[in-house]
Amino acid sequence: MGQDNGSTFTTQKRSSGGGSALPTTNGRAAGAAARTMIPRGRQIHKTFNNIKITILCGFVTILVLRGTIGIGNLSSSEADAVNQNLIEETNRVLAEIRSDKDPDDPADSTDEPQFLSLNDTYTLGPKIVGWDQQRKVWLSQNPEFPSSVNGKPRILLLTGSPPNPCDNPIGDHYLLKAVKNKIDYCRIHGIEIVYNMAHLDKELAGYWAKLPMIRRLMLSHPEVEWIWWMDSDAMFTDMVFEVPLSKYSNHNLVIHGYPDLLFEQKSWIALNTGSFLFRNCQWSLDLLDTWAPMGPKGPIREEAGKVLTANLKGRPAFEADDQSALIYLLLSQKEKWMDKVYVENQYYLHGYWLGLVERYEEMIEKYHPGLGDERWPFVTHFVGCKPCGSYGDYPVEQCLKSMERAFNFADNQVLKFYGFGHRGLLSPKIKRIANETATPLEYMDQVDIRRPVHGDESSGSSETKS
Amino acid sequence: MLGAGKFGTPAQDLDDLTTHFYAARKHGEPHRVLVEAQPENENGSENDPKNYATFDFNKILKDEGGEEEKPDPNKPYTLGPKISDWDEQRGEWLKRNPNFPNFIRENKPRVLLVTGSSPKPCENPVGDHYLLKSIKNKIDYCRLHGIEIFYNMALLDAEMAGFWAKLPLIRKLLLSHPEVEFLWWMDSDAMFTDMAFELPWERYKDVNLVMHGWNEMVYDQKNWIGLNTGSFLLRNNQWALDLLDAWAPMGPKGKIRDEAGKILTRELKGRPVFEADDQSAMVYLLATQRDTWGNKVYLESGYYLHGYWGILVDKYEEMIENYHPGFGDHRWPLVTHFVGCKPCGKFGDYPVEKCLKQMDRAFNFGDNQVLQIYGFTHKSLASRRVKRVRNETGNPLEAKDDLGLMHPAFKAVKVDDSTM
Repeated sequence: MGQDNGSTFTTQKRSSGGGSALPTTNGRAAGAAARTMIPRGRQIHKTFNNIKITILCGFVTILVLRGTIGIGNLSSSEADAVNQNLIEETNRVLAEIRSDKDPDDPADSTDEPQFLSLNDTYTLGPKIVGWDQQRKVWLSQNPEFPSSVNGKPRILLLTGSPPNPCDNPIGDHYLLKAVKNKIDYCRIHGIEIVYNMAHLDKELAGYWAKLPMIRRLMLSHPEVEWIWWMDSDAMFTDMVFEVPLSKYSNHNLVIHGYPDLLFEQKSWIALNTGSFLFRNCQWSLDLLDTWAPMGPKGPIREEAGKVLTANLKGRPAFEADDQSALIYLLLSQKEKWMDKVYVENQYYLHGYWLGLVERYEEMIEKYHPGLGDERWPFVTHFVGCKPCGSYGDYPVEQCLKSMERAFNFADNQVLKFYGFGHRGLLSPKIKRIANETATPLEYMDQVDIRRPVHGDESSGSSETKS
Repeated sequence: MLGAGKFGTPAQDLDDLTTHFYAARKHGEPHRVLVEAQPENENGSENDPKNYATFDFNKILKDEGGEEEKPDPNKPYTLGPKISDWDEQRGEWLKRNPNFPNFIRENKPRVLLVTGSSPKPCENPVGDHYLLKSIKNKIDYCRLHGIEIFYNMALLDAEMAGFWAKLPLIRKLLLSHPEVEFLWWMDSDAMFTDMAFELPWERYKDVNLVMHGWNEMVYDQKNWIGLNTGSFLLRNNQWALDLLDAWAPMGPKGKIRDEAGKILTRELKGRPVFEADDQSAMVYLLATQRDTWGNKVYLESGYYLHGYWGILVDKYEEMIENYHPGFGDHRWPLVTHFVGCKPCGKFGDYPVEKCLKQMDRAFNFGDNQVLQIYGFTHKSLASRRVKRVRNETGNPLEAKDDLGLMHPAFKAVKVDDSTM
């Protein structure tokens, strides 16, 4: 197509020797007719002027065409139409994918979904009794699925997100980064991941969806000792730190929070259910059963929300959420449950992101991974950012920058093992921090997170050890 | 995107030609087929700082640290310093670290599944959602089969960008993880559709590279799709390092890759005109150096280590009716690979609707096999919603687990007699 223009150009040039092409043929005819009347010199002068103007116009036309439609599209008004159709079709498909409509929704469904009424009782499932004994028997019958591997109790990390695309593409991008972050931590520490994208129980949708899933996994996997729920907007930022499970040998629920906020102030944020561990035992099943009743959506959840707002300090008015419900439950049935609940704040099992992310550079300078606390937070949790929705509680730029920083801060700890690091906490690009050598294992021995440098009982094998 | 098989089309050639001629001219905005869908309800002004819809992500990213290192144009490209004694180095390390054995059980090698995608958001607004579903699918398979995952989002070597990026990554991972016996590369647009199929490891005990393909198509026909590098196994040894070194030279972007592309189009059957890709380069390498590499390469066609989606996705319902998981082949494919769909990019080789809808079906087909462990299934292959298929009882440990995936044999831990 470029050549077309060029040849048109040349044609004009070529014929300019004896007068210009088409546009000025008339001119030439006129010129020829007028030749008898106009002196020759003036005629040549006129011809040259015409040529100059033609060239100038041609030049301007080309510039405009290149700048707007583009060379490739000169003959493509048809292609444009096809493209437009493609764009429309694609947008239609995307809109369908992003909507909540499902091909299997009953055709006659009314807009009013069926909710449990206030008089209905909700249960997570048939009551299980004697789970501890059942589990013990199963474990003894299945030695190839022990509850401890290499001296470490088996942990299953449960996380998830809704089955539809986020309201915004950037939400899905951060879900993807968050799951990569969890994959990295869990690979290093021998933890299995279950990523849930199914609503097992339509009553308990939203933040309550974790309850049926936790129960389901406990009952299906007796070999799992601890189930660790983690929100999709929480990221590991200390790749070395491990949960000190031996501290909790007499407890069944480990959750981040502050006892004074809980017992004295009855604050609705005294505990955080964005990251907590449940032991696989009868006690946990019972707690889940007691926790669930505020969850079913509709009038039950609404009414429960009012109760929670009335009883917990600082709670805004909205439907019951799992965190407030758990706090309320533990407060009102303190004697029954609290002796087995460990309210942990020695390290950031959940670390509220504001106040942490700005200090990453300072942490890198002064401290090192493995501390898990305010010096090097174990988990940075982006409460309130809601990147999967349309609106968050904080400015988007602040949230996304912070999430990117947390991701890269953690990723640096993984990449270091391979001799790389990010070009800044906001950069997707990486740079080499250790040269390649012909003896890579020497470098590796120095930086391997999985094998303690002081060479005691190491982790990572799938073999059982006495 | 890392690893997505870019086979190219005449339309892309034209694209390349036009860009080549007008290299100096910058397109204002790349010609996008997939345009960001705007939300209908624009509450608040364009300037609402809490509104995700109106935010421009490019404001976030920032590179620090000065100029990137430019490769020396006079030095030939290498993946890294030559290593000639990797088997010895690795052997010694394994001896020193008995807690990181390269075999988890007899006939069960330690496997690392490697996949990845760009650290930047996809151009397609639903691309990241499909990447998320794809990694969930891989997490599920790997959890059931005791395989570890490495999800890469870093470009280790700017010269080997695009589908070639897997080579420096694979080399780096082999050298950093001596405990890994097999590295399993898998494209981000490939999904597991047989959760019960365990790879036949004993079949591969004497080979170092396993790819889906056919001997005749590679060695006799030199057909550019005689094998597929979207899903393959590479053993961690000296042979693999040597292979990577022999494979890499066609990769460096720019003149080398373009020229190599021409050679490949000329030498291989059916290959369109475009820059050198890793798959064609592998076909060429094997076909021309069969004596060097052939005896340690297994071209597997007994099951779908890579399964081209075009011939599989319409048959899922038929498979459900007639067969069951565990076959891994045409009856129940291990992997369904969405070659050419490019869900992360601007436009692929197939209509968007077909690709995305079929990816949903493949995902659900695989997911059903995981959900059935817990007594659920999707309402249909097109539906995100699930329904219960097995009632809960008060005796959960007696639940029937038809596929045997709740506590599969391939996940069992080796029981040490001394611990009993």
